[in-house]
Amino acid sequence: MQPLANVTPLKPAARAGAIEVKNVGQVFKTRSQDVVALEDVSLEVKPGRFVVLVGPSGCGKSTLLMMMAGLRQQTSGTITISGAPIPQPDPDRVGVVFQEASLFPWLTAEDNVEFPLALRGVPRAERRAKAQDALKLVGLDGFGGRHPHELSGGMKQRVSIARGLVQDPPVLLMDEPFAALDEQTRMTMGDELLRIWAATGKTVVFVTHSLTEAVYLADEVIVMSARPGRIVDHLQVQLPRPRTYEMLSGDAFGALRDRIWRHIRKSA
Amino acid sequence: MSARISAKTLRYLIVIGLIALWELLPRTGLIPELFLPSLSSTLIAGWTDAAEYGHALAVTLYEVVVSMAFACGGGILLGAIVGSLPRPRVLIMPMVSSLYAVPLVILYPVFTVWLGIGSESKIAFASIYGFLPTMLATAAGIQTIDPQLLLAARSMGATLSQRLVRVIIPAAIPTVLSGLRVGGALVIVGVVVSEMLISSAGIGYLISRYRTILDSPHVFAGVLLVLFLAIAFNAAIRWIERKAAIWQTGTRAGQANDEITSGAMQPAT
Repeated sequence: MQPLANVTPLKPAARAGAIEVKNVGQVFKTRSQDVVALEDVSLEVKPGRFVVLVGPSGCGKSTLLMMMAGLRQQTSGTITISGAPIPQPDPDRVGVVFQEASLFPWLTAEDNVEFPLALRGVPRAERRAKAQDALKLVGLDGFGGRHPHELSGGMKQRVSIARGLVQDPPVLLMDEPFAALDEQTRMTMGDELLRIWAATGKTVVFVTHSLTEAVYLADEVIVMSARPGRIVDHLQVQLPRPRTYEMLSGDAFGALRDRIWRHIRKSA
Repeated sequence: MSARISAKTLRYLIVIGLIALWELLPRTGLIPELFLPSLSSTLIAGWTDAAEYGHALAVTLYEVVVSMAFACGGGILLGAIVGSLPRPRVLIMPMVSSLYAVPLVILYPVFTVWLGIGSESKIAFASIYGFLPTMLATAAGIQTIDPQLLLAARSMGATLSQRLVRVIIPAAIPTVLSGLRVGGALVIVGVVVSEMLISSAGIGYLISRYRTILDSPHVFAGVLLVLFLAIAFNAAIRWIERKAAIWQTGTRAGQANDEITSGAMQPAT
């Protein structure tokens, strides 16, 4: 028994999926100078929320996401996922979706989705069953036997999402997952992601360059500035759900997008 | 689809045409039999001395197989080390690259002094000859693995050894195979050339011996055997590629690597 667990008597269930980032800083040491990638970043994500990080290139939004995934350690400050720090990747707590390039090209879609389970020695039958469920969830029932090069960009990204969800983590981190897709596929995938999110109730943190995508998907948009990376705005998107294509041309949508754009123009 | 079939048929037609020319040109007297004996007289020469050629082929095959084991095994092992660790890379790569400029065949007389004129000197020479491209290709294959794949594996909780077995090795296979293709071909070149230079057995030795007595049909019978050896090797590699690297179909990476390695590794004889 750790004494600390008694001091903070929060039920784990209540914190599952919560993300807390407190005074996080990141400094990259290069030969000539120290580069401050992130400075005093604090944010809180409640379980089940869809949060989008936007900002100009080099604002450290991907770095922040990598830290939440346990793939990189911050220089200062603390990050907790579901109430506990994340010193290394923990696929039971956090699933990560990268750009499409991160599927293993020598494995079938099914084997790609099973990969994290295979790493932990989950028996084959159970693996198969979970992968089937995940593929069904992302709308790829029947495509499990295909290799990535036999799938379209959108389908590959669905496989990536299935892989991120297969261990049923409460948090899903997405690093510009649709950046390599054409615009139509991107719109479709956005709707698909919202459907999957609504069906699973995951906490999603989503990094993107696209302001439209940000406002369309998010409950909350966190805007960051570059050099040093800092949070300059935290918007609540009050648009009703389900989101529709018609909202894109509405005044409320435009106002939010303009507000984000003004921040980004200022800092870039 | 139809374009591919017709290209294939065309290839067959070209081969058949060349074979026909080989038979016809000497027969019609357009080319003297000394320069190019007809296909039929070559085959007859080979057939009448089948035992001699069979023995020579056995010697050559033995040397090729042993050299390939050394060249490919050593090349993959060292290439993996050099490719994954930056320090040995800095140390070794410049040396290996400069070695390319050296026509390694100049070392062969030295090998015969050290190891005699039997199989050992051929194996030593051919192993070194085929080792370099295999090693370079393996190093390149491991160096050029998409870092996103490794990052994704880490995010799923893969340990270092899991990343090696489940990501690095499968990702490097296509490049390693293209290295094997070039390395293996150079092994065959190395064995035959060294047999032709200083030797007492093997196909290269036969070719060289018959040439000195101007027995062209027997020379060409030997040439034909080497040709078959090379074709058989190529077919074997293709088969392995199909089995092991099914996933690189349709990607540019595999083809590009093929071109790079085969383009850069012209034999320096």
